[in-house]
Amino acid sequence: MHIGRIDSSATLGDSWLHRVSPKSKLLAFATVLAAVIVSWNVLVVGSLTIALVAVAVSARLDSRLAASLAIYPAMFALIFAFSAATSLLGGVVIVLKATTAALGAVIVVLTTPYPYIFAPLQRIVPGIVGDALLMTYRSLFLLLEKFGNLLTAARLRSGIRAGHPVRAARATTRALGGLLLYAFDLSQRSYDIMRMRGYEGRLRVTLPRSASLPTDAALLTGALTLLAVSITWRVEWQTLNPFSWVVPVVPVLGLALALIARRRSA
Amino acid sequence: MSHIHIPDGVLPVWLWVAGWAVALAMVGAAGVLASRSGARRKVPLVGVVAALMIVGMSSEIVPIAYHINLSVIGGILLGPALSVVTAFIVGLILAMLGHGGVTVLGLNTMVIGAEMVIGWALFHAVLRAIGRPRAALGAGLATVVTLAITTTFVVGIVWIGGAVDAAAHETGALDPATLRFEDPFEHGVFEIGLFGGGHDHDHDHDHDHDDGHDHDNDYEAHHYDDEDHHDDEVAADSERYLSVGRFAAVVYTLGPIGWLIEALVTAGIIGYVAGVRPRMVFEGALAEDKSPIPGDESGGH
Repeated sequence: MHIGRIDSSATLGDSWLHRVSPKSKLLAFATVLAAVIVSWNVLVVGSLTIALVAVAVSARLDSRLAASLAIYPAMFALIFAFSAATSLLGGVVIVLKATTAALGAVIVVLTTPYPYIFAPLQRIVPGIVGDALLMTYRSLFLLLEKFGNLLTAARLRSGIRAGHPVRAARATTRALGGLLLYAFDLSQRSYDIMRMRGYEGRLRVTLPRSASLPTDAALLTGALTLLAVSITWRVEWQTLNPFSWVVPVVPVLGLALALIARRRSA
Repeated sequence: MSHIHIPDGVLPVWLWVAGWAVALAMVGAAGVLASRSGARRKVPLVGVVAALMIVGMSSEIVPIAYHINLSVIGGILLGPALSVVTAFIVGLILAMLGHGGVTVLGLNTMVIGAEMVIGWALFHAVLRAIGRPRAALGAGLATVVTLAITTTFVVGIVWIGGAVDAAAHETGALDPATLRFEDPFEHGVFEIGLFGGGHDHDHDHDHDHDDGHDHDNDYEAHHYDDEDHHDDEVAADSERYLSVGRFAAVVYTLGPIGWLIEALVTAGIIGYVAGVRPRMVFEGALAEDKSPIPGDESGGH
């Protein structure tokens, strides 16, 4: 898991997308997600994917990281499509939908610090859930590092070897058992520290305002356009399907422009 | 099966909206229950157990390509109320990382939550029957039964999701029968495009039948009957766009291997923890919180 790199990209990045307000990004993501849900047209869903790739390229996101995160669910979707889809094309659309939705989520996560993503949720869920969300994300860094160290120690002591799956499984299990006890102690310490710092049952996060309202508006307009295209092609599919090849043209041009701009600025 | 890897936009809207509604109601009730019972002090614990489950789901057991879930362990440690909260958090963070859809988050919360709660209940039931010294065996048994139940739950979700009309299963300029793209310049460069208005399929259809004027009326009627019959068959085939039978076959064939691995891992961890800190396993993590805050031994803070 690339939690460290994700957080670094979200907090240290300085692209046009990083400067868009978290609310606008979440709204745009919800809109694109709606477009993915609506469409069953392989070319329209493919166009959404290309459009999101263009956005990721223009925001100069770590392409390997974004791709690995977006492709991971595609592999699970592939298994689901293989086992459940009744046609090859239906399976392709299922995999594309998974990749596109994941890419949208990944773009938001790579450009928005996690407290700002959780903040809107904190307003609708019980306080304990909102606080636990922040604690979970914070604990992930600590546990992943600790677990990595435990596994390295087990490997160095020949506890984990490719040719000995039983021994490897036993070592991994013990490492997880140790991690569980460490996590328990960590939670006690965290709570003590939080109480000493004045925690009284609510962690508060204030959302930052937009750095540029026109950029926010442009992002939302783009997302709404994608949704409008998806809805139109869904409603009038019998008439419009023969012209579906038109839809990817604009995102492909956008992607080409984003690639050129990225190369020039590199 | 700890969570469903079904992408966004595959299940019908009513199903995932219902999943969200049920999940939010469950999380709301669990939140209120947890706050009343003083479990708010366990916020950091919920955080670390959720993080632990996410770490488990991101760690492959070498060299077997399988990720563990640790959901039954989470349930044993946290009890039912906090388990539901943890299930929602795990599902949400996984969805943010693309591992599971956003729309299916409600259903995923129900699946993970059910796994944690059923695992907790079964573990304590089995423990009463076989005794505390065999906690590892009890945890393993509880895990296998729990995973079998929740896998059936997931198959049920796919069955409900696949039982919708797929009339709008349009797939674009690709011809599903031949998997070939329709030639956009088939009718000339200037005829096609945004201003052409597309194919008039009904017209084409009528035209085809007009061409059949050589046939006598009886043959034509028979021909139309056959065509109607064929259309009915096609409609019946396309009624479901998810093959539940094949999905169930794959899940129930591969699933038991995963259940066994998960059971062994759960048994190993619970056995280890039961030996080191038995209260955590037998009374739940909520039972342990008796150390005062340093400098606040009087409890005045």
